[in-house]
Amino acid sequence: MILRILFTLVLIAALPALAQNGLKDIPDTKIEAELQAFKTIDGAKIQLFASEPAIVNPTQMNWDSQGRLWVVCSGMYPHIVPGAKEEDKVVILEDTDGDGVADRHTDFAKDLYIPTSVAPGDGGAYVANSTEVLFLRDTDSDGVADERRIALSGFGTEDTHHLVHTFRWGPEGMLWMNQSIYIHTHLDTPYGIRRLLGGGMWHYRPETRRAEVFMKGLINPWGHAFDQWGQSFMTDGAGGEGINFVFPRSVFATSPGASRILHGLNPGQPKHCGLEFLTGQHVSPALRGMLAACDFRGNRVNLFQLADRGSSYTSTQQPDLVSSTHGAFRPIDVKMGPDGAIYIADWYNPIIQHGEVDFRDPRRDHTHGRIWRITFEGRALDKKPEIAKATESELAHLLHSDSGWVRNAATVELRSRPAEAVIAALTKSSPEAGEDADLFTLRKVWAGQAINHFDSDASAKLCQSQNPKIRAAALRALYYDAADLPVAFECASRAVDDPNLQVRLWAVSVLAQCTSPDTVKIALKALGGIEVDEELDFAIWSICREHAARWRDAASNGNPFATPQQLLYAVRALNEPLAIPQILSAMESGKLSTDADIASIAEWIAKVGSSDDLGHLLNYALNDGTTQAQQASLLKSLDDAVRLRKLQPSGDLARIVPLLRSSNPVLFSSSAFLAGHWKLEAAREELVQAFRDAPKDAERARAALDGLIALGGPDSIQLFGTIGTNQKAPWLVRSLAVIGMTRLAMNRGAKLAVTVLADSPDGRDPFGIYDLILSSKNGPPALTAALDGATLPEAIALTGVNKAKASPSQPAGLIAALDKAGNLQPMKAALTPEEMEAMMKQIAQEGDPQQGESIYRRPALQCTVCHAIGGIGGHIGPDLVSIGASAPVDYLIDSLLEPSKKIKEGYHTVFITLKNGTSVAGAIAREDTAEIAIRDAAGKENRILKSDVAKQEISPVSMMPPGLTASLRQDEFVHLIRFLSELGKDGPYKMSSRRFVRQWQALHPHPSTRDRIGHYGTLIFAQSISDYLWTPFYATVAGTLPFPELPDMAGRGRGPESAYGALRTFLNAQSPGTFRVQITGDLAALNLFLNEDQIDLPKEGKEAIITLSRKEAGRFKLTLVGQKVSALSNVSIELLEDASKLELVSESDFK
Amino acid sequence: MKFHCLLALGLAGISTGLFAAETPLFQSNDRVAFVGGTYIERDRHFGSLETVLQLAVGPEIKGLTFRNLGWSGDSVFSDSRSYFGPPQEGRQRLEKNLAEIHPSVIFLWYGSEVAISVGKSWTGETVPGDKMAGHESFDSDLAFFISGYGALIDLARSAAEEALREIILVSPPPFENLGAPLPDQTENNQRLARVRDAIRNLATQKKTRFVDLFAALGGDTSNLKKTDPPLTDDGIHYTQAGHDIIAKALSKQLGYPELPLSLADSLASAGLRSAIIEKDRLFFHRWRPANETYLFLFRKHEQGQNAQEIPQFDPLIDSQQKKIDTAKSLVFSEKP
Repeated sequence: MILRILFTLVLIAALPALAQNGLKDIPDTKIEAELQAFKTIDGAKIQLFASEPAIVNPTQMNWDSQGRLWVVCSGMYPHIVPGAKEEDKVVILEDTDGDGVADRHTDFAKDLYIPTSVAPGDGGAYVANSTEVLFLRDTDSDGVADERRIALSGFGTEDTHHLVHTFRWGPEGMLWMNQSIYIHTHLDTPYGIRRLLGGGMWHYRPETRRAEVFMKGLINPWGHAFDQWGQSFMTDGAGGEGINFVFPRSVFATSPGASRILHGLNPGQPKHCGLEFLTGQHVSPALRGMLAACDFRGNRVNLFQLADRGSSYTSTQQPDLVSSTHGAFRPIDVKMGPDGAIYIADWYNPIIQHGEVDFRDPRRDHTHGRIWRITFEGRALDKKPEIAKATESELAHLLHSDSGWVRNAATVELRSRPAEAVIAALTKSSPEAGEDADLFTLRKVWAGQAINHFDSDASAKLCQSQNPKIRAAALRALYYDAADLPVAFECASRAVDDPNLQVRLWAVSVLAQCTSPDTVKIALKALGGIEVDEELDFAIWSICREHAARWRDAASNGNPFATPQQLLYAVRALNEPLAIPQILSAMESGKLSTDADIASIAEWIAKVGSSDDLGHLLNYALNDGTTQAQQASLLKSLDDAVRLRKLQPSGDLARIVPLLRSSNPVLFSSSAFLAGHWKLEAAREELVQAFRDAPKDAERARAALDGLIALGGPDSIQLFGTIGTNQKAPWLVRSLAVIGMTRLAMNRGAKLAVTVLADSPDGRDPFGIYDLILSSKNGPPALTAALDGATLPEAIALTGVNKAKASPSQPAGLIAALDKAGNLQPMKAALTPEEMEAMMKQIAQEGDPQQGESIYRRPALQCTVCHAIGGIGGHIGPDLVSIGASAPVDYLIDSLLEPSKKIKEGYHTVFITLKNGTSVAGAIAREDTAEIAIRDAAGKENRILKSDVAKQEISPVSMMPPGLTASLRQDEFVHLIRFLSELGKDGPYKMSSRRFVRQWQALHPHPSTRDRIGHYGTLIFAQSISDYLWTPFYATVAGTLPFPELPDMAGRGRGPESAYGALRTFLNAQSPGTFRVQITGDLAALNLFLNEDQIDLPKEGKEAIITLSRKEAGRFKLTLVGQKVSALSNVSIELLEDASKLELVSESDFK
Repeated sequence: MKFHCLLALGLAGISTGLFAAETPLFQSNDRVAFVGGTYIERDRHFGSLETVLQLAVGPEIKGLTFRNLGWSGDSVFSDSRSYFGPPQEGRQRLEKNLAEIHPSVIFLWYGSEVAISVGKSWTGETVPGDKMAGHESFDSDLAFFISGYGALIDLARSAAEEALREIILVSPPPFENLGAPLPDQTENNQRLARVRDAIRNLATQKKTRFVDLFAALGGDTSNLKKTDPPLTDDGIHYTQAGHDIIAKALSKQLGYPELPLSLADSLASAGLRSAIIEKDRLFFHRWRPANETYLFLFRKHEQGQNAQEIPQFDPLIDSQQKKIDTAKSLVFSEKP
């Protein structure tokens, strides 16, 4: 009703035009205003280093070896105005008197177009200039570039905030560069054309002109930093998984055509631009070694602490380095300075984007920009070494500084010195007493690489170091030229079964570069004797595929590898019908026999096997000794084969019928489906019975329905007709009958749908009748016809309209028919400028974010089903963690009222029409050469064979249905928007880095609890009872658990006094030990269990720190039970350990 | 000056008589399109091709307009011209560009990418021209290239429609061997010679003109000497001086007399060159604008309203064209 009320608002006369609305929101541009809005971490202070007019909208920065800061500035972003000159700049900033303020600035270049990166070095500077990387040089020492060479050309410009960016010199003296999701790049190098069609990272060696792709994916990889061992970490400005550990050939989200991706270390963390390790003596010791990353949406700079974990890392967010309440503070780069201070580039803009906000929106800033400097009180600044004037010997010494800045500057400086002098200096240098000799050698190896004189033998020796970090780094040093270095192959072959997983990861990465025919055979050894983690598994999987030509022939009639397990791993990675007889015979002779082996075989054969191969699987499933878990995976694979490939096993299929009597729901549903698809009339009776028994067991009935639909024929149609029209049958069974009929006979199904939907008890369509009709080409016209003359209750009609509007075909006829049948007033979606103005004013004056959050959390509104805040919630739509800080209020209003008007990048709906006329819409979850998996708006994954696809397009319609907020009153809508607009702004709705446990599951009432509480107490909630229903429950942005929102479990008494709420979560202890946890809330009313052991809590009080003790590493369960639920509104559990000790477990893995 | 010896050497070896009997290539009011890869794309910064040709045709030929449709890393399959769409999107884009320009003369400038792309990178990015890179043998790479080139010529003819009078296939200049640490280009040049031969045959078959820059720049000499300073930055990408020399060689191959140095190096011709570069800059924003995702592609429902600015470059380009015409006449009005 809200909108209808809204549009009757009395409008204020003579309002300015819409575009000026938000001009009122423009923050005060004065430097003092921004300074006053900062809050820094304890002990730190912030001051201005440089500002407009010297610099405008800085996009990236890097230091030169003279200690000057080079900044690229683009006032022209997001797009050139016709007739304008290209006049963006590279500015050199200098603090000549050492007072911490830039006192000299020079425009090194001022004829650029949206430059996005600068890396001084090689006697000039590399500058990203849209389609090109330029090398600019000042030959007459006036500080201004007078020579221009195109170093690289062919970068895409499909989106100007995706342009090639994030230049950084690596420890090995290469220039590293990133590009974002929409960019299609074609570099013409002396080694051939190198293409990267999507996001990823390049390395480029200027002296050889070799440019190669290092990793692929990430949406906006705007940050890259090397740790002291030379490992690479990246951030993503849109991906929201915090810090990403990357290695060669690793592939991350949104890389086109990726059939497998890796994930970041901080799922659900803010999105970042820029990344830097804090090093040197000046930085407060507590912060040294941490990563700083700019959360430009949330106006703050985050800190993260890494710790080793297998081949990868854990990353724990720490308190913010700096945050601001100033809405135009946009930190986009962070770099350590030569004095040990931390420098932050502030792009300065109230509007951050041009995909969703007009290119020419007047609120965009084109005239300001700042560099801020953070120092630590009471600590001496680092001494600026005179790197540019240092001798080669001095430089060789500086390579070992504990300041990352000094090491990097010395490396870059060495590149412009005579190679012979550098080599001589390196040869002479030796570690001082107490210095780590291997680390010393590693840095010498890097310096040699930096001048293109790589000492591969020294690197090979380092592969024997006691320190696994050194071994991994030495392999990485060998990686780049491994194809031409026999020693690289030898080292990698030896390291492939190293005790350390990260060393194995690098060994496999080096092998991927090598030309030996045995690379895969050797790489597979990395699987052995250790629990392989995701990153290492990815690397092995990847080399099996990339080097397929080296082993495919040998596997066609034998086993080129050491074990059947290795062969199975390799052929599965390849996803080809290769070595099937060898694998099946290993299965049948018991050489491959674990549940995991059988599951792997089943999944793979389903994709690539023949009818006869499937017959082997069916036989194995029916063997006496086969476990239920194996049966389930085997039947599922037969199910996949018939569903996707229309392929069934050879032999007598009726042997499956006895399985229909299984009480195991998984076995029943698979065999029901298979019996239907295999057209086994002998199974019909069992299926019909299970279908009719729906009220007793709905899940079994749904499985039977699938079987009956597949079985088809007049008998099925008659059954669905009889039940569907029987007014006395339960609504559940009638709904299922509609689904059956719709699938078999659309016109009759649509007619039946009208009568059954009309009886929906709550106006909802829980079985997806509308969705089914909308997904078929013939569905909308059939339902339109069936609605002729019919009436529907308003609520169920509205449900249909909302679904129809969110479907890519947006059938106008059906929408009109539903409007008419439900007597709906046509909903006006858009606001006039005047209405928008009034609404924004009301939000500012009356909106209450606290009420808004509780509205957001209402199950009926379904916000949390699709959206997460800080990773907590659904993942179908964008994470809203900093939406308030990044999006203007009018944008939020538009997005709720007209979801399709603006769609976040990466969240476009892909609309696939199949050759059979049905369609699937959603996001691409996975893709390989044969298959595509689409995740629909309900979160369900649909696998589709590419050969079945008739058309694939990107839909301009959002997956978010319009009208979701139509049930809200106007004041509720206002509160909701106010809540969203506060998200990420400094204040109570900015997600803190404190480790609150935010993902829980809530227990639903169960018939036995009321009695059993009396006998056993609250322990019953912590017991593993198989038919308890647990559903996701998320903490608020502040980390609290509002118990009143939980399902009430009545105790034996009366009234709220005896109502219980129960939540559970899982945690993972990285090693045995004790772990501190803070619990907040009315302790007298709370009970906490670790697995099934009650933890003692103080009898009274509002908070306590308790210690959880674990004798072994691994997962455990926490159950939190509250009594007198209505009083417990601010309960929270906070972990006081970081992720390297105690990990949160994602809700999807609760088991 | 080593270059001139080198050039003379190269020219000596080939027949320039091919066009002797033909009519001059350019006529007044011709619209000329350059279609190619990195070489063409980078020429827009130097203005070499147009500057040399505008002057070479002399003051009598008026109203020549040039459009640079170069794209780094492109191939005869238009690999670089595709963004998010199916593989044929690149071809469709080129077709649309040609249909808009409706050129009377088209230079097609491809071939170095076949000679050099014998290895593949791990990324496995699939593009239509994949089969040109390092498959069974260079013979099959080359055959695939020629089949694609033939199709490109057909597409150019149909896209440009009746306006089209001439197509010129240009065989690319040789790579330079600049020594370590840059890679040795000897084998690439041997392949490029074979590419040249295949293009020449194709030109005969398709009845187009052919210009052999490979030979003209000394590619056929057994021991290609390094010029000092080199004409390329890295062995494959020509410097501005290189672009100027190649433009002059092209002009000569087309049968136009060499310009007197006094004219070519005059201040006025520098003015002409900068007017051309400015026109190319404007045209680049017109035909290859940034932000296409929002302006024309799958996010145009969000920011497509901004696409109205793109045609606003047309009058700017037209007015810059007038400056080119004026600058050209100024060159010829200056008495040496």
